[in-house]
Amino acid sequence: MGLKDIISPFYVWKRALEKPFTHPSPLTTRPGSDRYRGFHQNDMHKCIGCGSCETICQNAAIDLVHVDGIETTEADSGLRPKIDYGRCCWCGLCVDICTTASLTMSNEYTWVDADPEVYRFIPGADEKSWNDTDKGYRRAEGYNLLETERVDMDMTLGDDGIKSFMEVIHGYTKEQAMAEAMRCVECGVCVATCPAHMDIPDYIKAIREDRLEDALELLYRTNPMPATCGRICTHRCETVCALGHQGDPVAIRWLKRYIIDQFPAEKAIAQLEQEFEDNGLKVAIIGAGPAGLSAAYYLVRLGYNVTVYESQNKAGGMIRYGVPYYRMPEDIMDDEVTVIEKMGVILKTGIKIGRDLLFEKLMHDNNAVLMATGFESPYELSIPGEHHSRVISGIDMLDDIANGKSVEVGNVVAVIGGGNVAFDAARTARRLGADVCIYYRRRIEDMPADSEEIHEAQAEGVKIIVQSIPVHIEDNNGSPRMIWNRAEMVDQGPGKRPKPVLIQGASETADVDTIITAIGQASDYDYIPESMSGRIHFNKTRVATERLGQTAETKVFAAGDIVNSRGDAISAIADGYRAAKGIDAYLTTKKGEK
Amino acid sequence: MNSLIKRLKMQFDVEEQTQRSNLSFINATALQLPALLTHLRDYEKYTQLIFLTAVDRIEDNQFQLTYMLADESSQNNIGVRVRIDRENAVMTSIAHLWHHARTYQQELREMFGIDFPGSPGVNDNFILEGWEEIPPMRRDFDTREYSEKTYFPRPGRSTTHPRTAMKAVDPDYPELPLMKGRVK
Repeated sequence: MGLKDIISPFYVWKRALEKPFTHPSPLTTRPGSDRYRGFHQNDMHKCIGCGSCETICQNAAIDLVHVDGIETTEADSGLRPKIDYGRCCWCGLCVDICTTASLTMSNEYTWVDADPEVYRFIPGADEKSWNDTDKGYRRAEGYNLLETERVDMDMTLGDDGIKSFMEVIHGYTKEQAMAEAMRCVECGVCVATCPAHMDIPDYIKAIREDRLEDALELLYRTNPMPATCGRICTHRCETVCALGHQGDPVAIRWLKRYIIDQFPAEKAIAQLEQEFEDNGLKVAIIGAGPAGLSAAYYLVRLGYNVTVYESQNKAGGMIRYGVPYYRMPEDIMDDEVTVIEKMGVILKTGIKIGRDLLFEKLMHDNNAVLMATGFESPYELSIPGEHHSRVISGIDMLDDIANGKSVEVGNVVAVIGGGNVAFDAARTARRLGADVCIYYRRRIEDMPADSEEIHEAQAEGVKIIVQSIPVHIEDNNGSPRMIWNRAEMVDQGPGKRPKPVLIQGASETADVDTIITAIGQASDYDYIPESMSGRIHFNKTRVATERLGQTAETKVFAAGDIVNSRGDAISAIADGYRAAKGIDAYLTTKKGEK
Repeated sequence: MNSLIKRLKMQFDVEEQTQRSNLSFINATALQLPALLTHLRDYEKYTQLIFLTAVDRIEDNQFQLTYMLADESSQNNIGVRVRIDRENAVMTSIAHLWHHARTYQQELREMFGIDFPGSPGVNDNFILEGWEEIPPMRRDFDTREYSEKTYFPRPGRSTTHPRTAMKAVDPDYPELPLMKGRVK
């Protein structure tokens, strides 16, 4: 080692008084590239708190927490992701899986702080300098971990559909159902929205894993009419499905149907049959519609002796007599009832309470009575001439068809109304060979009918005239002539439905062979004896009950359309479940008092 | 690159997939690989090994190795793909062809558990000192489970399942089940 080697390190000292060659500026502000994966951003109003980010995170860096000012609603859990940056590895999977695309990453990556706790925060909720930047990692166009399109359902639509009463929707095959089940992210937002709170993510998972026996039991835990709901349910669950934000919601209703399609009645019975201890208590149920059958099923499982009285010849209520075969085949309905009956429910059909058997006797012979009689008396139009012999109600027509009677509607039919009954009647008339036109007082978007029914009806050639109000009906050589008036929608102020108002002089005439009315139904409470009338209270047309269905007459419960205003099958089924729970609670307490 | 592929097909049993005009992939067998790479390096000017990596094709019970070579003069790249058995994951070393291949092979040994007998230092620690689990890039390695087991959660962490939070929507949310079910 020479002298030079020893003193050379000291040469740098000569630069001690010079300015540094390095520029500090680029080192302090060096932005990440445009698609850099930096700190997260979350659009708080787009996010629904589905938790897919938490599920996919391989580092367990994400928790879902409540945030001030974000309420839990039917389509939003009210939770938001909170990220622990001590664990985050910036892989971006949470952004890729986000069902609403609310979660993104900014390109900001520099942040120094002595307090480690600040590196755990709720993106979007806390003020951060990068909250509004449009740079950073977003899911690339065309790249999606989620399957946005649902598996197509095979259907017989249009001209082929109206040739017969064969079922329009064919149902999923195993491959189709498994593919569709794969789309679910198991967030469970749908469970609360379903009136019966069915275990939706669990049964979809069971389909995915091909555990169909488990899937069946999951269905019957909350709903003893899965074949019905797999077909005609109003599927509110699908309206809040997380997948619906960027594509089609998961076909929850059809997946349910797929499960029950694999279980003919005997197989379902074998799977569901259990020993029940008879508790010696008797419950009578009036009406074998969805509410009555549902309550009966759960009461039997709790050990009660249950008898259901039905005025029609067969059980099923509005599902059997109001829904045509092309939506709900007769044999499927029979199977559904058979399963419930085989669980130990005694069914007495053709017995009308108040006529064949008195309500008082039911009260005397049973420990509790459940009224589940539904809404089956059609509303009248209340216009002159409506008692013409060729003016029939949609409900009566569907009822006659279901009872095997022949119904003649002629070549030209006018249907009045915009609900499911109107569409069922219209599509049935198409199948009987008629040209059909639906007259509805409001707009298509105001129709209470399911949008699928509207589309299917249009595909089958049903015409729809909206904003049309019938004003009177005349006789035209034995056929009805309907005089109707065009209406305009008049705004009723914020938050209120616009109202149809007749336009002066815009009157039109329709010569038809049959007019079918379907503007809604009411209940018929004639079976309630006068001696009890003071003890059962009403809210307008509905029976007033407490939350588990109990009326002011403590021994009497009520469920279904006569209680809830939703008026769909699934709400009636949920009501039946609640009433079963209410009756059980009431009789258990009563037994304890003795 | 088409003429190159044609020439290769005359000497080797290879299948080809072209991705871009200057990038092709060919599938070869493990036995052929050393000869094929030597040929590409010495006769076709693919003198540079850009990287060597693996994909866990767990469904096929195989690993897929990709050797990416470059011809600097033409700026063309060729990827040579080889499938090897996943259970007995052993592959011939190419450290004699490119010295730096030893580093890739050492990494693959650690991350996927693929052995390259004879590759210098192949069994030395790469980055995972004291690793006792199955190799972490194997797809049957449960990253989440490892993460939860290994790293302590920060105090004060708690989470709510959306389904539980949703119960607030319906005050009458029924407690389930009403019947004694047998669902597992």
